[in-house]
Amino acid sequence: MTYVKRKKLIFSVLMYFVAIPLTILLGVVLFNDRQYSIISIIIAGLACLPFFIRFEKSNASSREIIVIATMTALAVVGRIVFMALPGFKPVTAIVIITAIAFGKDAGFLTGSMSALVSNIYYGQGPWTPFQMLAWGFIGFLAGMIFYKKEKPNMILLIVVGIIGGVIFSLMMDVWTVLALDGAFTMSRYLIAISTSTPFMVLYSASNAAFLALFTKPILEKLNRIKVKYKVFTA
Amino acid sequence: MGGANSMKYFHNCHPVVMFSYLIGVIFITMFTMNPIFIGISFLCSISFTFMLFGAKETVKSLLLAMPMIIIIALTNPLFVHKGETVLFFLNNNPMTLEAMIYGLFAALMLVSVFYWFKCYNRLMTSDKFIYLFGQVIPKLALMLSMMLNFVPKFIKQFKAVDESQKAMGIYSGSSYTDKIKCKFRVLSSLITWSLENSIETADSMKARGYGLKGRTSYSVFPWKTSDKLLMSYFGVMIIIVTVGLFTGYADFDYYPKITRMSFEIIPILLYFGGFILMFTSTIMEIKENMLWHYLKSKI
Amino acid sequence: MALLEIKNLTFKYNGGKDNALEKVNLTVNEGEFVVICGESGCGKSTLLKMLKKQLAPAGEKTGEILYDGVEVDGLQERVSVAEIGYVMQNPDNQIVTDKVWHELAFGLESMGEKTDVIRRKVAEVSGFFGINSWYRKKTSELSGGQKQLVNLASIMVMNPRLLILDEPTSQLDPIGAMEFISTLQKINIELGMTVILVEHRLEDVFPIADKVVVMDKSNILMTDTPTNIGANLRKISTHKMNLAMPTAVRIFGQLDCDCACPITIKEGKNFLKRNFENKIRSIEVQTETNENKNVALEISEGYFRYERETPDVLNNLSLKVYENEFMCILGGNGSGKTTTLKILSGLKKLYKGKLRIWGKKIKEYKGTELYKNNISFLPQNPQTLFVRSTVIEDLMEVVEILKFDKEESQKLIDEISEKLEISHLHNQHPYDLSGGEQQKVAFAKILLTRPKIILLDEPTKGMDAYSKKSLAEIIYKLKSEGMTICMVTHDIEFAGEFADRCCMFFDGQIVSSAPPIEFFSTNTYYTTSAMRISRGFFDNSITTSMVVRLCKSNNRKSN
Repeated sequence: MTYVKRKKLIFSVLMYFVAIPLTILLGVVLFNDRQYSIISIIIAGLACLPFFIRFEKSNASSREIIVIATMTALAVVGRIVFMALPGFKPVTAIVIITAIAFGKDAGFLTGSMSALVSNIYYGQGPWTPFQMLAWGFIGFLAGMIFYKKEKPNMILLIVVGIIGGVIFSLMMDVWTVLALDGAFTMSRYLIAISTSTPFMVLYSASNAAFLALFTKPILEKLNRIKVKYKVFTA
Repeated sequence: MGGANSMKYFHNCHPVVMFSYLIGVIFITMFTMNPIFIGISFLCSISFTFMLFGAKETVKSLLLAMPMIIIIALTNPLFVHKGETVLFFLNNNPMTLEAMIYGLFAALMLVSVFYWFKCYNRLMTSDKFIYLFGQVIPKLALMLSMMLNFVPKFIKQFKAVDESQKAMGIYSGSSYTDKIKCKFRVLSSLITWSLENSIETADSMKARGYGLKGRTSYSVFPWKTSDKLLMSYFGVMIIIVTVGLFTGYADFDYYPKITRMSFEIIPILLYFGGFILMFTSTIMEIKENMLWHYLKSKI
Repeated sequence: MALLEIKNLTFKYNGGKDNALEKVNLTVNEGEFVVICGESGCGKSTLLKMLKKQLAPAGEKTGEILYDGVEVDGLQERVSVAEIGYVMQNPDNQIVTDKVWHELAFGLESMGEKTDVIRRKVAEVSGFFGINSWYRKKTSELSGGQKQLVNLASIMVMNPRLLILDEPTSQLDPIGAMEFISTLQKINIELGMTVILVEHRLEDVFPIADKVVVMDKSNILMTDTPTNIGANLRKISTHKMNLAMPTAVRIFGQLDCDCACPITIKEGKNFLKRNFENKIRSIEVQTETNENKNVALEISEGYFRYERETPDVLNNLSLKVYENEFMCILGGNGSGKTTTLKILSGLKKLYKGKLRIWGKKIKEYKGTELYKNNISFLPQNPQTLFVRSTVIEDLMEVVEILKFDKEESQKLIDEISEKLEISHLHNQHPYDLSGGEQQKVAFAKILLTRPKIILLDEPTKGMDAYSKKSLAEIIYKLKSEGMTICMVTHDIEFAGEFADRCCMFFDGQIVSSAPPIEFFSTNTYYTTSAMRISRGFFDNSITTSMVVRLCKSNNRKSN
């Protein structure tokens, strides 16, 4: 996005490395180690905050806003129309491709908003902040690595897609464990992972397949918009 | 959904009131492991679900939830080996009664949270959600509104493209990979279409002054007197119960031994407060129903 | 002082070869209703966009555009936003938010108005436009006409002084369009609003215009009152714009009478009565029978509904399309026309009744058999056919998927491209083409399946008169090659002029079917303008040229 500045990067790094551990610490002291699930939800929400605040403060043009809104809606629609094909959700891939074209902030927004909006259709729950963070983070990561790369390294991209699928699955499993036990227990986490492994594999595979097939054409479309309408050009 | 909701009290109250109440109740439910609190929350969430969704839906969802609760209760000893009362050994690991009871209440807590969220999802329509967002992060709220406009539009276009492609004879194969390929082709067409057309939407925003300094957020949710009263009531109750929980009067331990229930005055007041808070939603709906019946009978 | 004054405006797009506008001069006074017309691509839209700072395209500009005495580029941002309202062509694309009320408030929010001010203004505007009952609806649930009304209202709520509209009715059905235009008239008459409207549907807007501007290749050809425009255009009778004029004007244009040019149906009727005798009242018609012809498509006693609980959309429908005919299916919104096309093309299935294609049941067509060398369907929105990033790739794709021979397919692509005059567009992105060009490419794409039957869904939507004529030429060409064409349309004039047979769809079935002359001369309400003008005077003149022919074969009245 046009408003990426070094200072702001420092701000988000601070947020991640100071504010979040602080919340955990505060949680432990204040809540007396009682319910990690609440703390974790608050943390997930907090982690999204710097990006949202930054977006609020930016003077993103109407065209940039529309493009992000469009990509997010596409991710959601992708999730809805591919419902018949289980495990095949193009959300992660669309988020990653958006991040490649428009940068890490746009990637984070697209990811987190995709989670929020698709839960408006599928139902919100305590898992919403987790999904927002997971998808947002994947977008952020992809933007960090690939932004402004004309031809992103395909192998690396597929690796990121697979990691994206794994991150998403692992993060959601953490939430499951915290919700059940109130604290993190490794044994249950392992069980949770093992039950969700088939989905994780399918999900990661579909991410990889989607990215392998569609990065180029979709990136072409986005770059065309970028040039034709002069969005995200700074 | 509008039709089903229009006669619900909570549907017509201010979004901030509704949001604070539900989030407050969910917070309290998740915060404590006290079995009485969890029991209260469980019953109140079900009664509220019953008021909003009717008997059929409530029973159906309970039939789904019950086995889950039992499974979690029965399997918890497999993961947790704390507790004094050993029932038997499995692979040299002690299966304890405490772990099982903990599992039962953890599951009940989770299910209560799900029920509260079920009510939340019914009541929190997108425009209310956008309004709430708009109070804190207006730009993002506007974006949310755009997305909600786009989603149905895109689905419609997806179907249109799908049909056009079908009528071109492009769905030649019927294998799984062919199907996926064709769907991706449609998605790809949709992506181009949506991006190209979105620019006109951006122009329409600009033409109506988007980007000028000092943008305001209009809302169709005025604060009624009843909203203000209800909000203060909820606010006070939530604070009292939360503070009460923090003071430790309702602390409860499962390991190594299950705490004995104390029936002193303060914990009982606390349970009572929790009950009043969580049951208010059901009472409001009952009151609303009675009012309607009364009005109907007068006609 | 004039509200808007354009002086010697010349404009060239960045990277463009020719000037998009050249020495344009125009004055618009407060309260005037100005209609701008001209062929697609003549620079109308460019001219409109330049009037609003926020939409002005990038390029080289000379000359002046003065709004209230101030150059528009120098106008204060807020003044330009609020005072110059702009409604665009596509009702869907202009809507930003998901709720009607939010859409109405959008502009005022941008202006930083307080909640109670917005509430009052929005309430007022909703009342004026009759939006009250769907004020809280989702925007995605509205009809096209309602959407465009919301777009108009969301501009009017900002209290503009100048209202600019760029083909606002082109995507609407005739009833929605008429309602929209009468709303514009109401705004103009009751509020004294200054309106600049670009429109192809001149039949409806000529009568309410104070001033008509005819544009021709980046120039203004003439600016005058509607009546004078009619008279002046007659002097250059070969000019393309004659085709686009309202029927009464066109009739006048082909006859040399020294009187004021008629504009409305009523004036047209009077014009005929006053100037001509009607001893010869009808045109001889050769009736062709379909009896010996092959039946290409046949539905017998068909029933269809979209969902179990919804009512029947097709209700005991029986329909025949004969080989090598051009049939038009007409009828109101929601009467089941488009659904019929979907049935015929195999996209939807009847739950009762039979569909036969070339006498063979549809079930017996396996795989792509139905679509290869057989049936093709051109959907309403040509953009739904595009999947690639250049025209040629899109065309190649079809032949690849249908597995045609390589050399042969190259020849086929060249041949069809030439026939549709799109060879020069091969390397362009489909979305960079104009609406008319997009449709031609889509047409080419479906022709590549080498169909025998072509189904068209409202192909004339949003087209100017000249593009319609070239569409008709394409259809005739295809017909002469032996193709069967079945078209669903709202465009009565087009069907009257070009179809072999017209069918009237109502309530899920076909209520009448006849060759156009018979069809339209027996209809009273649902008929062409030419027929309405000449009804009671001539018997069966359903097109402008027929009216003119009959006038010429009768004697002139000497008044």
